[in-house]
Order: sequence, then C-alpha cells, then structure tokens
Amino acid sequence: MRAATISDLARPSLAKGVRLQIDSTTGKSVLLYPEGIVELNETAHEILSRCDGRTLGEVVRELAEEYEADSNALAADVRDTLSDLQRRKLIEFT
Amino acid sequence: MTRPRPYALLAEITYRCPLHCPYCSNPVAASLCEAPRRPPSFAEASAGRQGGGYSNGELTTEEWNRVIREAAALGVLQIGFSGGEPLARSDLAELIRAASEAKLYTNLITSGIGLDDDRLRGLRDAGLDSIQLSFQSDESNLADEIAGARAHAGKLDVAAKIREARIPLSLNFVIHRRNIDRLPQMIDLTEALGAQRVELANVQFYGWAFRNRAALLPTREQVDRARDIANAAKARLTGKIDIFYVLPDYYETRPKPCVNGWGQRYLTVNPIGDVLPCPTASSAIPDLRFENVRGRDLDWIWQESESFNRFRGAEWMPEPCRSCPQKEIDFGGCRCQAALLTGNAANTDPVCELSPNRALVDAVLREVNSSSDYAGDWAYRQNPKPELTSV
Repeated sequence: MRAATISDLARPSLAKGVRLQIDSTTGKSVLLYPEGIVELNETAHEILSRCDGRTLGEVVRELAEEYEADSNALAADVRDTLSDLQRRKLIEFT
Repeated sequence: MTRPRPYALLAEITYRCPLHCPYCSNPVAASLCEAPRRPPSFAEASAGRQGGGYSNGELTTEEWNRVIREAAALGVLQIGFSGGEPLARSDLAELIRAASEAKLYTNLITSGIGLDDDRLRGLRDAGLDSIQLSFQSDESNLADEIAGARAHAGKLDVAAKIREARIPLSLNFVIHRRNIDRLPQMIDLTEALGAQRVELANVQFYGWAFRNRAALLPTREQVDRARDIANAAKARLTGKIDIFYVLPDYYETRPKPCVNGWGQRYLTVNPIGDVLPCPTASSAIPDLRFENVRGRDLDWIWQESESFNRFRGAEWMPEPCRSCPQKEIDFGGCRCQAALLTGNAANTDPVCELSPNRALVDAVLREVNSSSDYAGDWAYRQNPKPELTSV
C-alpha cells in the first residue's frame, strides 16, 4: 500500500507478536518482535503510543494539537512512518 | 572503555533431542553426553551448585531463573529458548514465566516434538511471545529421512495448534544439498501453514554439520538457483511473509558479520551453564576458557571475562582485517570458522577472498562441484539413550 492511500479512517495497531516497550538501559522505546528489535525515534514513539484503536485521522489531529504543527505536513509524516512499519509487518490496519 | 550491552540471550537449556539431524550445530561431544538418569531431588535443586541438580550437569530451574534475571539487568531484551529440544525440560513453562516477568520477549525454538495442547496452553499462559518451529523439508519422506525420526506429520499438527493458540509462528528450514532443490515447496508450506515468517538458512558448518560437510554442502548450481527462487519469493510475499534467506557462506567472497561482532550484542548460556559469545565457540575454540554461571555472575562474565574480551573490537585483528575498511562491517567474520578451518581462532575468516587461507575453502568447493556423484552418506547426530538400569 502506498502511504498516500491509507485512509483517515484506518485504525493502525501493532501486529500480532509485536510489543512496544521501554528499554530500561536507554530509556527509549523499542519494538520487540520475533528475532528483532527496533529502536524508535521520538516521532515514531509518539505515533505508536497512540495506535490503540484510534483512527489515523484522530492520531494526526492529536499530534497536530500537541505539537502545534501543520496537520497536512504532519499527516504525510505519520503516513510515511506507518506505511514503513506496515511493510515490515510491525503494524497492521483494521 | 564503555562495554557494549547485550540485546539477546540464547538459552540452550538442554542438548537432549528426539531428532538426529546431521546438520545439528550442537557440539558433537556434548550431544553424546549422558541423559539425566533421574530428575534432581529437592535438596539438590535447592543447592543449585556444581555437582547438584540434574545428573548430566544441566542447570536447575533456580539457576536458570537467576541467569534470566541477571540477563535482564544487563540489558537483554530478547530470550530464545533452544537446545537440543527445549521441550525436553519439564520446567520450560516456569523458565518462560521468569523471562516474561523480567520483561524479556520470549521465543521458543523447537522441533515441536512433545508439544501437545496442554503443554502449549501452559507455555502461552506463562507468557510465551513467539514460536520458531523447525522443519527438515516440505514432505514426510525426505523430512523424516533427514531428521532420522518420524517427525514431519507431527510437526504439521503442531503448526496448526500454534495457529489456533494465536501464537506468532515462524518456520525454520535448514537448507543443504539434499533439500535445497525443494525451496519453492518449502515456501508453499510456509504459506499453507499460515506462518508469518520463515528462515531458509543454508547450513553453516559447525558441530555435526562440520563433520558431515561433504554430504551437506550444495553445488554452486544449486546455490545460484536457490538464490533466485528466494529473491523472487521475497518480492512476491512482501508484507505477507517475512523471508530470511541465509546464504551458504563458503560461496561468498566476504565473510558474514558473525554474531554482529564478538561480545557486542549476543550471549549464549549452554545447558551446563557455560557462557559463550557464540553457541558454537565451546567446541570450535578449545583453547579459550569459558566462564560458568555457577562461578560468576553474568555481568562480570560479559564485562570482564577473558573469553568475552579476547575478540572484542578490532585490537585483536591480524592483517588483512586490521587495515581493511570492511572491518567495522564484517568484524573479520567468524572466529569459530577460523578456528575450525585454520586451527587459529584469531585468523581472518578463510571465507574472505583476502584471507591467506581462502584456498582451504576453495578446495572444499572444488571437491563438491567436481563430481556429479552425491558426496556420500552423513553421520546422524547421536543422542544419549535414556538410562534404563537403576543407579
């Protein structure tokens, strides 16, 4: 799926077997999955910690308010991050 | 100097196994060691010292629980329970629970033999995150011949049960001369069983596999064909199944970045508690003394021990590694392979085309590729028979 085609109504969530956790050694967020670890940057952490049943549109709106950012630019970033994680099977949309 | 921190612990909780795969990477001598004649008594298990516990020297439940807590404190985030066959330990669920409580991501690496409904439920309830199920091929005749046991049909049942239990499933095929031509069918089986990930790993030559190398190493023609098939399947299944195709390193011109550098990210604890920078180090590098969790805590072993520091970083490297721009990428390759092929673990991995010892690898390849005859029989991994006589 191309990033631009993800609907505002899609609900992103962690894929089966993927866990979001704080790495107590670094204090940073990590995704843990079979045989793999991904360290998340702050943006990815902010996005993923909201992927709990909310729609993509809701996630973007919340982030835009919290960071007082332009929601169009932000929506593109969020879509890129999520579609990258989807390609790696770390998140899925319902 | 700040030491790196480990991310993953491989817990080889037993070398016992119901299968006899000729490519097993377990140490040949250790897999021949005796099975326990009896479980430890309560007093022995509580004592948890050398001489106590299982009569074959395996760590007790309490000792493993301590290792798991120490690993988490050291920064480990992932644990793989492996062996041998980890299900051969009746305390597996307890160990998984301990790992879950320490917030580790838990993987079970298993043949599936002995995984019935009750056992699976117990493991899931203990917090098991993921299962890697091994297959020897895609169909019974060849798979059972390779395993040296009638196992394939049972594995298919186990895969279905794992799916029903909604535990993420990876399949794991070790690829070699006898099964490499069935790569497309193995990928089909992965799809049919609903696995989300598959490792198609060409055999690497350690343990029993090193002994059986002539019978296991594929031909160049087979390897080229398999690479194309794996790449096509990867493209076709992107976003659906993750395919990890591991190349046979003898056919490469640069070595693999073995364990991402010695003592950088991984540690292994073997059944008797020896702590290893790599699972095959204890048998491949006999002149290196490894520390045991019964004598030292994991933190000291990781930070301070001679065995973990011997090949850490780049200081130990000889030429051509020392001045090579690739040294931060492949770390000089595999210490065990250097030891097995050249007799010196501190040599450049002879797979590297710049190694003065590359001729050793080329000679093996020439032999395998010069004859159309199959290179002969393999020796099955032998396992200790359970002791039937009383003590």
